[in-house]
Amino acid sequence: MKPLHLVLLAAAVIVAVVFLAFSPDRMRAWQSRFFDVSTPALQAGAAINNRISKLNKGLRTVDEIEAENAALTAQNNELRASSQLLKDLAEENRRLRDTLGYRERSAFSLVPAQVVSRDSGNWWSSVKINRGFGSEIDSAQPVLTADGLVGRTTTVAKDISMVLLLTDETCQVAARVEETGDQGIISGQRTAGEGSPTLVLNFLKRNADIKPGMKIVTAGVSGGVFPAGIPLGTVREFRTRELDGQAIIEPAADLGRLEDVFVVRGTK
Amino acid sequence: MIRAAVLVVSAYLAVIVQEFLPAMPFFAGAHVYLLPVIVCFAVLWFPFPAALAFALYAGLLGDLAMLHVDGEHVEIGLGWSMLFYVFLAAVLRLVAPAPSGLRWETHCLASGAATFLLLAGQYLTVCLRRESFLLNGEVFAQLAGPALAALLLAPLLFFFFSLFPGFDPGRRGRRVKR
Repeated sequence: MKPLHLVLLAAAVIVAVVFLAFSPDRMRAWQSRFFDVSTPALQAGAAINNRISKLNKGLRTVDEIEAENAALTAQNNELRASSQLLKDLAEENRRLRDTLGYRERSAFSLVPAQVVSRDSGNWWSSVKINRGFGSEIDSAQPVLTADGLVGRTTTVAKDISMVLLLTDETCQVAARVEETGDQGIISGQRTAGEGSPTLVLNFLKRNADIKPGMKIVTAGVSGGVFPAGIPLGTVREFRTRELDGQAIIEPAADLGRLEDVFVVRGTK
Repeated sequence: MIRAAVLVVSAYLAVIVQEFLPAMPFFAGAHVYLLPVIVCFAVLWFPFPAALAFALYAGLLGDLAMLHVDGEHVEIGLGWSMLFYVFLAAVLRLVAPAPSGLRWETHCLASGAATFLLLAGQYLTVCLRRESFLLNGEVFAQLAGPALAALLLAPLLFFFFSLFPGFDPGRRGRRVKR
């Protein structure tokens, strides 16, 4: 390697180290600016992704109809396809009415948002939503669905926010067993894999009387991020360890198929 | 110049497209990483100074897309991937010198190895930050899956970039003595 190349290499390393020395706030500001610049691309990607998934659903439906109605005429097929389209619209209508109803009856001031994309990294569990400080969203605000808690916001740009999901090992929430009042800390697992990942509730009493099916809600620690009483999940299994008890929790919200979420801005 | 611009735009698009690619269920839900494949091509093709600049640019994009700042807690800071890609550029330049280094086989192997090492480095850093080390089949699948995907994708990207005019794999920079 030429001496000039060695000098350039050293300069490049110094540049990288300078970035590594940034404070968390500065890193967040850089990322927020990157999200601002990338918002059109991310939203276009989300729109294309939605169209593709809708197309897949439509193709599956046509396959099913063809399998069931091979003998039907072309006119019948057309009528069935139209009927299916109406069913899809009715289902979408029902889903939107449900979410709107939840927003109205909730005790919290909620901002509706849609998931734009999922984290492309292997070691974290997060999603991006299409609301940011333009909708008065800040970092460290709880995100939930009608079923339960989803996670909390981290980096917030004007129209995009990153949401750290409950299934991430670093997203820790003070939790309470609704029936017994036992409290612990709930978090995700490092290698939860694909599909429906579970949560773990640690630091429970060893002799706690916790049974499968019991409901877990947020404990609402004073000064914490999450208000009390938001559903987190149900107990699947309870086991005792050397020093404490641990429960395996099935999340209340379907974190693998998030579409519509709400960001909690505060109480009404 | 056109190819350089295509690579610069491709790196940005790769970061965006990665977000929408489905996870690989056979590899414990591992994700497909496109950026290391493009970086390997660029650092093998560009002259060394430009390769370093590209490594910094791509590393910054990769870090900005994947950065997780939770309060005051950052596991892998901005600059981590920049450092990785700069060292990758230096190593690849030593292993596969510029004039003949850009062959599809070299690019393919480099992409697989770079993806594996990038993820292994990230995972090691995450383990150190969380003060616990866990190595099981799922972790190995999440390291090996993206590396295998990179091995498969590398030839496709190589031939895509070779479609642009003036590209002559294996010969760029070769000087003929008269």
